[in-house]
Amino acid sequence: MNAMQQVEGAVTHHAPKISAKGVDVFYGDTHALKAVDVEIADKMVTAFIGPSGCGKSTFLRCLNRMNDTIDSARVTGRIVLDGEDIYAPRVDPVQLRAKVGMVFQKPNPFPKSIYDNVAYGPRIHGLARDKPELDAIVEKSLRRAALWGEVRDRLGAPGTGLSGGQQQRLCIARAIATGPEVLLMDEPCSALDPIATAQVEQLIDELSSRFCVVIVTHSMAQASRVSQKTAFFHLGELVEFDDTDRIFTNPGDHRTESYITGRIG
Amino acid sequence: MEHQSHILHAFDRDLESIQANIMKMGGLVEAAIAQAATALETQDADLAQSVRAGDKAIDALEQALNEEAARILALRQPIAGDLRTVLTVFRLSGSLERMGDYAKNIAKRTGVLMAMPPIEGSAKSLRRMARQVELMLKDALDAYIQRDADLAADVRARDVEVDQMYTALFREYLTFMMEDPRNITACMHLHFIAKNIERMGDHVTTIAEQVIYLVEGAYPDDDREKGDRTTQGTGNAG
Repeated sequence: MNAMQQVEGAVTHHAPKISAKGVDVFYGDTHALKAVDVEIADKMVTAFIGPSGCGKSTFLRCLNRMNDTIDSARVTGRIVLDGEDIYAPRVDPVQLRAKVGMVFQKPNPFPKSIYDNVAYGPRIHGLARDKPELDAIVEKSLRRAALWGEVRDRLGAPGTGLSGGQQQRLCIARAIATGPEVLLMDEPCSALDPIATAQVEQLIDELSSRFCVVIVTHSMAQASRVSQKTAFFHLGELVEFDDTDRIFTNPGDHRTESYITGRIG
Repeated sequence: MEHQSHILHAFDRDLESIQANIMKMGGLVEAAIAQAATALETQDADLAQSVRAGDKAIDALEQALNEEAARILALRQPIAGDLRTVLTVFRLSGSLERMGDYAKNIAKRTGVLMAMPPIEGSAKSLRRMARQVELMLKDALDAYIQRDADLAADVRARDVEVDQMYTALFREYLTFMMEDPRNITACMHLHFIAKNIERMGDHVTTIAEQVIYLVEGAYPDDDREKGDRTTQGTGNAG
């Protein structure tokens, strides 16, 4: 490789945002995740696919230490975010989760107003000095979540009164209000109708220019539509991790092929 | 992958059905090539006519296959190996349909040639060339149904022999025409027949390449030897 190619390589190469090495997860005696090595790039969408119980959600939850909240869960190995070990003793999981936001399967807005749902995170993390600043954060977050136009006139209305798709976009607005760098999404569209799903997918595509997005999905079609990288998990192992177009046209592992073509569950 | 069935059995039935139809179409084309060559050699007008009539069935199968493959794309959204299986159907049916047209054209020219004084030895050489293509097609279809990329690569390599036969015939017809201008009409028809068979060989090569893509997920590199030398100076011979 000559010097010019090296320079070009350095410019175009996506440095990993998250790097996992030898990650194992146990729930009591159950070995849920086995020696996972993966590098997740910034500013693109990485999809985790695999049958139920394959470990994909478990691994997603490792990335913001959500497994800490489960007593029987034990995580070993190393997960590095921006060069820092997120399981190091000095890391505060609450601060980590402000940087690594999460959106869940079922839209779960707080039983509060639309405004307060989005303002919640910035308030507890002290991100706004005064009301105008908080207003600005709420508006920006709702705009980025492609919801502002639909709710600007009723910010005081309860978040639970929105439609399912709007609620999910509200949860995305809430997740990005704390200014995270990584967005984890655990089957964010599985409770939504096709139109709301398309809106959330469009949103994911827009968000990927700003965030490192990791999505767990049961829909192979969704993974192929929204992601640039796909990881296939099976029985606790990371079987294959590659460019999404390669995974869906010519996967390297026969287990991946069997799963995505509907031959094994 | 094909030994493992889909959880949804109807998907397997759909894929099996289009592949069975490809084999059926391939069988008709093989027969059309053999019969067209036999009709030419034995001056059999009835057989030539039946080849011409038989092309309708090949065309109908192509249309049915394309509709069925489009339906599978829309309803099953195949990916990976399944997607390649469906894409391959489009390519194969297209190539087979063209081969059927060439066989039909040979049969048509046979009728014209029968009204002329025969050119000595010409039908035999064409028969041999057609036989070569017919065997290549048979192997290509076997490679397809058995997912045998090695056999497909072998078929692909054999097209050079067809090209060489075509080059030899081209020179031979040129010689006949220069010897006696009264041979020109017949030799022109014979040349088109040879060219048709040479083109059939190219279509079999396409089928073989498509089988390699189906099995391996990538097309073979284009480093195949070409045997057609008719553009390299033979036109100025003599």
